[in-house]
Amino acid sequence: MAEFECKLKKYRQMKDLTQEQLAEKVGVRRETIMRLEKAQYNPSLKLAIDISRAVEVPIEEIFVFK
Amino acid sequence: MKTNKMKIWIGCGLFCVLSVLFSSWYAVAYNDSRLVAPMDFKNYVFEIRDLPMIVSVSLTCIYLVALFAMLFIHAGKKQRQAEETGATRKINPKLGCLGVLGFLGFTGFWTYSVDGAVFPFAFFLFFGFFGFYYEGKMSGTFMDERFRENIARAKLKAYKIAFGVMLITLIILCQGKLFGNLEYTLIASIITLSLALALGIFLSEYLLYRYDHDDQAGEGEE
Repeated sequence: MAEFECKLKKYRQMKDLTQEQLAEKVGVRRETIMRLEKAQYNPSLKLAIDISRAVEVPIEEIFVFK
Repeated sequence: MKTNKMKIWIGCGLFCVLSVLFSSWYAVAYNDSRLVAPMDFKNYVFEIRDLPMIVSVSLTCIYLVALFAMLFIHAGKKQRQAEETGATRKINPKLGCLGVLGFLGFTGFWTYSVDGAVFPFAFFLFFGFFGFYYEGKMSGTFMDERFRENIARAKLKAYKIAFGVMLITLIILCQGKLFGNLEYTLIASIITLSLALALGIFLSEYLLYRYDHDDQAGEGEE
């Protein structure tokens, strides 16, 4: 898996969303959001786009691949 | 399944069992144990007194075929429902107890010594039913993309292990007769194949449970 940094937690909190709410918005389980925030799960392109739309931040700002 | 429908199926099953017991008693008491004790069917001539046994056994066979067909259709419906809702199928973890049926495989040692029958060794396959316990624990879990990835990961690893065991068994058994007896080789191959398949069935559920729950371990609540 490619190493990457995930800034989802920061942007999610800026949007005042809980993990549960975000998970529901993008159609995944809360555990998946947890793993994403810890950069322990590499999301599909569709999920990355859905998350980017949910928090209204471009994908490349949320997921920074090194 | 609705409770009323289930009661009808259980009632029919009980009726079939009772009819077989009654007809067996009738055959032993009034029909010289015909169709109960082992007999040569090449010289069989129908007698009216055989009718209870024939009818009860036929009814039981029809019931069993209908039961399997119903269970198959029901499982298909549940699978479709699960696909539509995107959640895993709902089953009771207690179904894992069916894995105990795997011990029926040991009856093979008895049947082999009595009449040389080896098919009961295949019952070791039922050990795979222990996987229902873990599947039941994950009943109704929403299948998001990470869960689906875990399913694929778990299945791949389980099948790799099962095929590995089968390959090693094949290499060993293909060397020749086990203890100088071809029948022992056949028995060993039935046992190891059944156990390897059971392992594959069980491991795919167990590993999925482990992957899903190990992922959650140590993750803080918000």
